[in-house]
Amino acid sequence: MSDTPDTLRLPLDEVQPGAVLAEAVADARGTVLLPAGLALTEIHLASLRRRDIAMLTVVVPPDPAELARRREEIRERVLHLFRHSADDPAAQALLQAVLAFRQEQAQ
Amino acid sequence: MNEAPTLADVAGRIRSLPAMPTVALELLHTLTETDASSADLVDLARRIAQDQAITARVLRVANSPFYGLQSRVASINDAIVVLGFSAVRSLVLAAAVMASLPGGPCTGFSQERFWRHVLGTAAAAQAIGKRLGRPSEALFIAGLLHDIGRLALVVLYPARYAATLAAAREQDRGLQETELAFFGFDHAAVGASLAEHWHFPAEIADALAWHHQPDRGKAGGLAAIVHYADAIAQALDLDESEDSQVARLQEDAVASLGLDWDALLAVLADTQTRFDSYRLMLG
Repeated sequence: MSDTPDTLRLPLDEVQPGAVLAEAVADARGTVLLPAGLALTEIHLASLRRRDIAMLTVVVPPDPAELARRREEIRERVLHLFRHSADDPAAQALLQAVLAFRQEQAQ
Repeated sequence: MNEAPTLADVAGRIRSLPAMPTVALELLHTLTETDASSADLVDLARRIAQDQAITARVLRVANSPFYGLQSRVASINDAIVVLGFSAVRSLVLAAAVMASLPGGPCTGFSQERFWRHVLGTAAAAQAIGKRLGRPSEALFIAGLLHDIGRLALVVLYPARYAATLAAAREQDRGLQETELAFFGFDHAAVGASLAEHWHFPAEIADALAWHHQPDRGKAGGLAAIVHYADAIAQALDLDESEDSQVARLQEDAVASLGLDWDALLAVLADTQTRFDSYRLMLG
């Protein structure tokens, strides 16, 4: 049920600022230069060029239609989980919070 | 299937369950002591370290990003120095209980999901406790052990429990109410018997007994927090069970926690982070 994003391995020249690293970047000796999850800036990219890093694995940003589909999937799942308790006022607050949290996480 | 057992039958057969490991019981009993002396701690650390299965599970969690350590801890002793006795005590207890209380074969019962759910509940209980300024450790342990009566039923009455699970699934009913229909009592009552048998601290016993009916537990006790934490673990799908459902919530118990929207969102995020660390214990 985890929403692991798609990743793409690209030559450094094709990576644009703003792209998010899917894997940490390490030099030839295995020392980590940049951690996974980092949104790359022009400064990062320049530094990687200086260090002769050729390829990067970046996260493919989900397209809006895919994102909408995923949000709907989460909504249905959460409503299903609360199928016996959604009319409790106490559960209602939890339902709304869980829905907001899980949809936010999916992005 | 034989005649339904009574709660007294269950209590009588508890002795035949796998023993709760001595280390775990001793740790539980130290929960009520405010200052364990350092000699005791060293002794305890040495004895825990002899059990490699427990040590390995604990170190996996201690080295997870949640604790944000600069360097790797390689022994229980190191872990106590860096994380503190109470954090390590909780982890050791969890690892010891998991290693020593196998559920046994019961159709439809997943041990893996069981442990995921209780670790998720423990994480959620701590996350709520943090917002309320409540001590973390007892909440972790109460969450970890809240469904332990279910494990006992699985081991003692595998056929009847399998039928209970199947009926709950087919009729899409809550598991606790289906237990009441099949046994005449639920896992919370069995948990209370176990707590008595093993002399659990009173606040833990109260949470085990009343996590589905927190209004009957001690006012201001742990039952209300575990009650809500149980629902949070279900709502976040932490056990990854397709047919799970959020159990009915007692409005007064939830209201007594006083969590507003922002606090609730923070609790959810904190729960997820803690759980991602605790789940490493499952290997």
